[in-house]
Amino acid sequence: MVAKYVMLADTTRCINCKACEVACRAEWDTPLGYSRDWVKEVEYVNAKGLPEVQLFPGRCQHCDDPPCVEVCPSGASWKREDGIVLVDHAICSGCELCVPACPYDARWLNPVTNTISKCTFCQPRIDKGLQPACVETCVGHALIFGDANDPNSAVSQLLKAKEWQKLVTDEVNIGPNHYYYTAGKAIPDAVMPKLNERHLSGTLMENIVNPLGTLGIGGMMAVFLGAGIKKLIDRRQDVSNKEGSHEQH
Amino acid sequence: MSSTKPTIKVRTKDVIAIHWFNAFFWLTLVLTGFGIISGDFVRLAPAFWPTFLQNLLGGNANLVLLHGIGGMVWAGVIGVYALLNFKRVVLPFLKNVLVLTPKAAIADVSSMVITLAHLFGLLKHQSVPPQGRYNGAQRLLGTMIIACSLAIAVTGMYLFLSPMLLDFAASAGVLGGVFRWALVIHLAAVLLVLLGLVAHIYFAVVEEPESLETMKSGEAEVAFIKHHNPLWYAELEREGKV
Ligand code: SF4
Ligand code: SF4
Repeated sequence: MVAKYVMLADTTRCINCKACEVACRAEWDTPLGYSRDWVKEVEYVNAKGLPEVQLFPGRCQHCDDPPCVEVCPSGASWKREDGIVLVDHAICSGCELCVPACPYDARWLNPVTNTISKCTFCQPRIDKGLQPACVETCVGHALIFGDANDPNSAVSQLLKAKEWQKLVTDEVNIGPNHYYYTAGKAIPDAVMPKLNERHLSGTLMENIVNPLGTLGIGGMMAVFLGAGIKKLIDRRQDVSNKEGSHEQH
Repeated sequence: MSSTKPTIKVRTKDVIAIHWFNAFFWLTLVLTGFGIISGDFVRLAPAFWPTFLQNLLGGNANLVLLHGIGGMVWAGVIGVYALLNFKRVVLPFLKNVLVLTPKAAIADVSSMVITLAHLFGLLKHQSVPPQGRYNGAQRLLGTMIIACSLAIAVTGMYLFLSPMLLDFAASAGVLGGVFRWALVIHLAAVLLVLLGLVAHIYFAVVEEPESLETMKSGEAEVAFIKHHNPLWYAELEREGKV
């Protein structure tokens, strides 16, 4: 069976040391100020009136139904059979149509390569049988990565053993493959995905240019197919009329 | 075409060659273009097409390269041809075809509507006004194709070359924004031309195969011109060509 890679983040084990971020930046040589992953820190006052902090390590969620892939005009954004969402840098134009399409804000334009950068679950490492750099470095063992289709994998066992949640809302439910364990605590709104405002040009292409063009061309074909059929029928009638008049003579 | 009917030469070999060159490149560029755009939201062809073509050519990068180079060859050859033959071919063609005033556009639209209605046996009592070398629909299509081809060439060049040559990230979103709008214009212009091409091909193949013949041999039947394009016939008469 093909693998289905997932990432688990146990928020109760995360200590916000940022080792994962540092490892990721080193692995991918990301420019200063940019990172393919992050740890979000959410402070709030709990039911007892005491301040609390929750930590959410995050990255591309490798969604089952990724809008970033759907909007990419060049096919540079694509999804591998094992669920990993990748960017083909040879054809990414850097048009950024995919950036606002991602509700997890996981994509950014790399100023060095001029193409889109995002977490790939360290695909080259995985293909060599290694773990992603962030998982390997995670000090608190908060990050666990593996194949959810393999019943013997650590992720499969953990998924069965604990109550995991995904970052989904009624508005954004695109099948993320990143799970969070919070020991039953509700996930704060601040880390939930949000629909971004799309680029006007992309919206126009998607909602006006393409449907109108398809309808128009389809309509034209239907009109001329109709005209052709009518011409054939008329011709037949002409021939049979002529034959009829011949017979009468 | 029967050799017994009198014909006259209305198209030179180079014009015929550039027409078929244009047609061949259009077909190739449309097929490869529809293969590149693979995302569900922006894709125009059924999903199997990009997959098939990308597999055939060993990946989308090769397809993009083929489409980009093909586009530049298309624009380059037509551009050079137009420059070299501006006075002899392009200028007379533009004079015959360009619809620039609203009045001319209205007249052409109305004659096009009547022609189309006639195909379905409608508006029989309305006759199409006498035509010159090109009819209303051909003029409108011609104007649209010229405008759209220019837009396609310019935006296509930007789409192909800008990611290689320009620094999108350093432009604070400006160059990427231009790229996205170029994509919209490129696509819209291609769709507009395709819309017109459906009619163009139908008329050439079904309604007036004589004009298709002219685009192959360069010869047109005098009787056909007299019947279909009386104003042009009168012009040819004045010039002593018929
Ligand atoms: S998280 Fe964003 S970038 Fe990653 S697959 Fe989902 S939509 Fe695409
Ligand atoms: S920027 Fe995003 S949408 Fe544009 S080509 Fe690259 S991956 Fe595709």
